[in-house]
Amino acid sequence: MKDIREYIDDIDFGEVLFGKTLYSTIPSGEILSIEIPNLPDGYFIVDRRDVPLNRVKVIDDEQPVFAERFVNYVGEPILLVVGKDKEILKEIIKEIKVHYREREKVLTIDEAIERKREIVRYEFRKGNVEDAFASAFDIVEGVYETGYQEHLYLETNGMVGIYENGKVSVFGSMQCPYYVKKALVYALKFPEDKVRVVQAKTGGGFGGKEDYPSLLAIQVAVASIKCKKPVKVVYDRKEDFIMTTKRHPSKIIYRSALDKNYRIVGMDVKIYLDGGAYTTLSPVVLQRAMFSAGGVYNIPNIKVEGVVLRTNKVPSGAMRGFGAPQNFFAIEMHIDDIVLKHNLNPYYYRRLMMIKTNDKTVTGGTYRGEIKIIDMLDNAVKKTDFIKKYERYKKSKNKGIGISCFFHGCGFTGSGEVLLKSTIKVKKIKDKIIIYMSNVDMGQKSPDGIRRIAAMALKIPLKNVIIEKPDTDIVPDSGPTVASRTLSIVGRLVKEACEEIKKNKDKDEIEIIRRFTLPEGLVWDGERFYGDAYGEYSFGINIAEVEYDNLTDEIKVLKIYGLYDVGNPVNEKYVHQQLLGGIVQGLGYAIFESLEIDSNGNFNKNSLTDYAIPTSLDIPEIRTEIYKTKGLFGPFGAKCCGELPFVGVAPAVCSAARIATGKKISKIPIKPEYLKRIKDES
Amino acid sequence: MEEFIIPKSLNEALRIMSEMDVEPFAGGTDIMVKYRYDKPAKPFLFIGDLKELRYVKDDGEYIRIGSSTTYSELLENRNIDKIFKEIIKKIASPSIRNRGTIGGNICNASPAADTLPFLYGMDCEVQIVSINNSRFIPIKDFIISPKRTLILKNELLKEIRYKKEKFNKYFYRKIGLRNANSLSKLSFFGCARIKKNIIEDIRISMGAVSPVVAREREIEKMLLGLDKKGLNSIKEEIIKRYEDIIHPIDDQRSTAEYRREIVLRILNYFLENIYII
Amino acid sequence: MKVKIFLNGEKIEMEINPLKRLIDVLREDLNIKSVKEGCGEGECGSCMVIINEKVYNSCLIPVGSVNNKKILTIEGIENKKILKEIKRRLKDEFQCGFCENGMLISLYALFKKKRKPNKEEIKEAISGNLCRCTGYQNIVNKLKIWKNS
Repeated sequence: MKDIREYIDDIDFGEVLFGKTLYSTIPSGEILSIEIPNLPDGYFIVDRRDVPLNRVKVIDDEQPVFAERFVNYVGEPILLVVGKDKEILKEIIKEIKVHYREREKVLTIDEAIERKREIVRYEFRKGNVEDAFASAFDIVEGVYETGYQEHLYLETNGMVGIYENGKVSVFGSMQCPYYVKKALVYALKFPEDKVRVVQAKTGGGFGGKEDYPSLLAIQVAVASIKCKKPVKVVYDRKEDFIMTTKRHPSKIIYRSALDKNYRIVGMDVKIYLDGGAYTTLSPVVLQRAMFSAGGVYNIPNIKVEGVVLRTNKVPSGAMRGFGAPQNFFAIEMHIDDIVLKHNLNPYYYRRLMMIKTNDKTVTGGTYRGEIKIIDMLDNAVKKTDFIKKYERYKKSKNKGIGISCFFHGCGFTGSGEVLLKSTIKVKKIKDKIIIYMSNVDMGQKSPDGIRRIAAMALKIPLKNVIIEKPDTDIVPDSGPTVASRTLSIVGRLVKEACEEIKKNKDKDEIEIIRRFTLPEGLVWDGERFYGDAYGEYSFGINIAEVEYDNLTDEIKVLKIYGLYDVGNPVNEKYVHQQLLGGIVQGLGYAIFESLEIDSNGNFNKNSLTDYAIPTSLDIPEIRTEIYKTKGLFGPFGAKCCGELPFVGVAPAVCSAARIATGKKISKIPIKPEYLKRIKDES
Repeated sequence: MEEFIIPKSLNEALRIMSEMDVEPFAGGTDIMVKYRYDKPAKPFLFIGDLKELRYVKDDGEYIRIGSSTTYSELLENRNIDKIFKEIIKKIASPSIRNRGTIGGNICNASPAADTLPFLYGMDCEVQIVSINNSRFIPIKDFIISPKRTLILKNELLKEIRYKKEKFNKYFYRKIGLRNANSLSKLSFFGCARIKKNIIEDIRISMGAVSPVVAREREIEKMLLGLDKKGLNSIKEEIIKRYEDIIHPIDDQRSTAEYRREIVLRILNYFLENIYII
Repeated sequence: MKVKIFLNGEKIEMEINPLKRLIDVLREDLNIKSVKEGCGEGECGSCMVIINEKVYNSCLIPVGSVNNKKILTIEGIENKKILKEIKRRLKDEFQCGFCENGMLISLYALFKKKRKPNKEEIKEAISGNLCRCTGYQNIVNKLKIWKNS
């Protein structure tokens, strides 16, 4: 059959029809009419009328597969034109005239706050915040903002839909085969055994292929049903830019009550995320941001209010860190604000408030296991000669050094893992072990880790462990490849299954199925947001050194040092690869990558010429080190790793930039255009 | 209709251009992006491989460069000044430099074109040829406005030439979105000949801060014959005059405010340090 | 238009639209899938090929302009010692793999021209190859200590 170990556009599916999307060119409006030219033979229009249930089911089912009466963002798909020749498809698309009646549009967080356009709102508290503020020695407040980020996986989104003998099969670039399958079942109203989803080799995901593939899959599926031939849609870069999800921009307000030693005794946090036009994954992104509200500090009293705003832009989605980067930027800059105001030392001040084992989280859960963040900070400070450099750079006119301290909760937020009911299957056939799971490789090489876990558990050579291909006809639903959960959560199930197999050594062939169960002692109330939002956390410290060019206001990052506690790493080499890659992506978020919306609801860039991700000539000296601890729940003590290294970069770089420039930078990306304006204001 | 015509010689190319309406195609790095989504209106005339357009010569008085010479070829040629190579090295990436041509950069006439500030500074002339005519035009007259030059339908840019001047001070800054492979937000080129602390000649040109390269000989003349003290006494006035001739805009890469501020800061830095760089 | 190219040492003659992009000719007409389209505008380098010893973005080249030229893709240099050594040193460093072929082409062209490039030269050679997964550092560091040929 097809070699699905290739990228979707490289696989030969025989005779296929291509599909090209007509999308909305206005941010908000009613479609009054669509004028379609006469189509040549063999060319079709596929639209909402071809979808039995025209909704993409992610968490809720708010988002249409194809726009109906209204469009709510530039890039919202209206229809597909399907046919043999891509050039002819381009011509047809150009000739289609859509008549809109424009409606009121909301394009920014502030506008949406003013008009109360909310997708979701949550709130939780711990302790007594009012008292803490009433008896405060001082109160410090700050506003912190982060911008859009585009995933920029090198391989754009692409899918092929095939309809044969009453069954739909979708192949493509994706992170979550079962999300796609569930969305297909829902939209097509097909029985489960008539829907098959197979992941092709995927050229990068970073969260950008977590939910969007479901929408595209439904489109190619209904197209292949209508046109009676396989249909392939592969976006070009411009289409991918305009149509697919981006990281949530944020505006976060921190207010802290300090005691006479300047220690934070109370916090009032307001988190605003820009969710774009539809709900999709935003409620969970918001939750992860909110659960990071206390950072790595022990905050006795805290009130956290979170809102996702609805704006007329592409739905914001998952991206490495998933809400945590936004919040860690805010809290670490807030700590720096307090340090600045009261002339404190950024190292000692953080150290003073850091969490220890058995401290309570902001949701009243427990920090379990080895919590070594203080020791990590001490190590990192020593390794980078931070104290001396900080004093020296503070006096210099253009150099800076900064710290960030951060964590990442392992696995799905809250009761997510319980709701997922992840299931894996492990088969032993003579001396071979075959693992069946729906978690995929998108470059992070989790399957290698899973194989190693099995090999270690059974003490067999790695080459005897095989992972079955991610085909929903063959593998069970072990949950999505997100939330840094594959090794730490799914890996544990694999280890447990292997241990069962070990107990049955005498059997030549055996098959074990394992389902996720919540570890003993963890409690979570999803209504009140109370308890253990995560079973355990991975930790990180970043120290960044930057140079400020007084002439051009540009910030150049010279060095980044990262120390990471990811538990007991399964494959250190691959962990370092994740750390390096995550750091460089974080560098882009901090400095280079900016994406803004103009008054017509268009992104001001949609090509690589203008959206600048780091190149080989932009990377600083990066040093990554692992601080080994033993996790509680992951296989052999492994904790989560993939997203962690992204989280700490922007705050460390910004912290350093503040020293180098002498300006209170509170917004990323740190563009020289923006620095100039702060300079003017001061 | 032939969409991609490959002439075997410059003469044949010019003859074809005298007979039909074509769009010259040298390296094509701009054209191929431009026509991603739109169909070309005219056939292309492929002049990128014509040997008569790919050369670098030093004839004693001028450095002469064939219009289809690629950036990489310029980098590899010993007749090209070190400062020009520094500028070219900051253009795009190795693979683009293997293909993009100096002629294309000029005729595309983007306000952010990387070679132009240097070429304006060197008082470069372009040789425009047709089947029965050849003329040299100063580059500052050749480029009228963004994307518009004096070139006529039947004409080709054949050669770029500039006098071999002896400058002993060179300065160039390009501000992009990142270190490599970036279009210019703004750029600054300055050079001077300073003997015994007196400015004998000075050229200043700025890129991406105006519809065309900003260079004004009248302002430069004000600096001739000055020593450091003399320059300092009129430095603010000089800067003010340059501020008057630039017209930066807001676009997806940067803002008018930033461009104006930074290019003038760089000018100030250049003037303050010209004697010692 | 009749176009003749020498692809990976093999002479190929085609009757083809001269404006068709080389990347499309390779992928669609000649089944060369090693070149990838990451951007279509010459920015990402995933479509890198070698023509007469130099690297180019095949997404920016109309096939009519490479008549009579020698084109190399990964398929054509698979057995070359230099490529094998590069791959050996970079074993396991690539992650999602989409930029890999473009990078290898750029690196092959570099090491063919210069036996012992320094760190800056290696970085420069791949400055037109975007990678979103690796952060580049390991790729550069694992190659800069190249001592033997």
